[in-house]
Amino acid sequence: MFSLFLAATTPAHEAVTAHEGAASGGLVHDLVEKFGIDATNVGMQLLSFTILAYVLYRFAIKPTLATMDERNHQIEAGLKNAEATATKLAEAQQQAAAQLKTAQLEANKIIDEARKAAKELSERETAAATERANALVTKAQQAIELEHKKMLADAQKEIARLVVATTERVLAKRLSDADRAAYNETATRELTAV
Amino acid sequence: MSAVPAKIRAFVKQLVQLSLVDGCVSAEQVAGILEYLEKNPPANPLASLQAYHKAIAVEIAKGEARVEHAGPVTAEALAAIASALSKRYARPVSPLATANPTLLAGLRVRIGDDVYESSVAGQLAALSAAS
Repeated sequence: MFSLFLAATTPAHEAVTAHEGAASGGLVHDLVEKFGIDATNVGMQLLSFTILAYVLYRFAIKPTLATMDERNHQIEAGLKNAEATATKLAEAQQQAAAQLKTAQLEANKIIDEARKAAKELSERETAAATERANALVTKAQQAIELEHKKMLADAQKEIARLVVATTERVLAKRLSDADRAAYNETATRELTAV
Repeated sequence: MSAVPAKIRAFVKQLVQLSLVDGCVSAEQVAGILEYLEKNPPANPLASLQAYHKAIAVEIAKGEARVEHAGPVTAEALAAIASALSKRYARPVSPLATANPTLLAGLRVRIGDDVYESSVAGQLAALSAAS
């Protein structure tokens, strides 16, 4: 802003200088008179403009620049914090991922152990159940075998009883006195030989 | 006999020994003993006479072979059995035949507590018991 002010005042100053030169030469003097340029007026304007430029610079431009610098510092600090936060976030994510991976490994290990334990328990239970079933089957087979033997023995006894009873009835009807006498002689020989 | 007091048992034993002649009960001896007891009753006459009666019955049973038979039995067979048992028990044994059709055929001899049997019913009973 101040540089623009200088740039604007430079031609006026040169015009004043040229007017002084024209006074000697006439051309500059003619121009100053033709355009109505007053040196006092121009000087006052330059002074007021300078004061205005100083006031603007002192109370508007400088605080604005300071504020902009402060904002830039804050933005840079924010960017730095953001980068640090991003780094921390990345580290935290990595740590979380590592912890998650560890937890997954431990969980998988626990699940494997649980499956293994469940399988062993199931196998033990299956073996015990099979053993109990085999024992029951063996007992049932033994009971059936005993029952079968008992039934055969009972049938054998009943058949023998029927055979003996039938034989007794048949012999009681069929044996003649001669047969009985002959048997009695044989019995006598047996008893006397005792 | 176990309920009979020891004194009576000893007394009856003496009476039984006096009743035997050649190992057999003699009717004359028994009659004489009874006559003596009638004249000289013992301390407990009823119990003594009952015990003497049982003892004489046992002695008579020892000398008597009860032969049960099914079908005819000859006198020779009975004599042979009596002779064999006399030798076995070393005393005279007399046979007493009794018919028993349940034997079907054969003989069963009882002498005292001993039983000898050779009969069809006995063999069938043994067969039934063995099966």
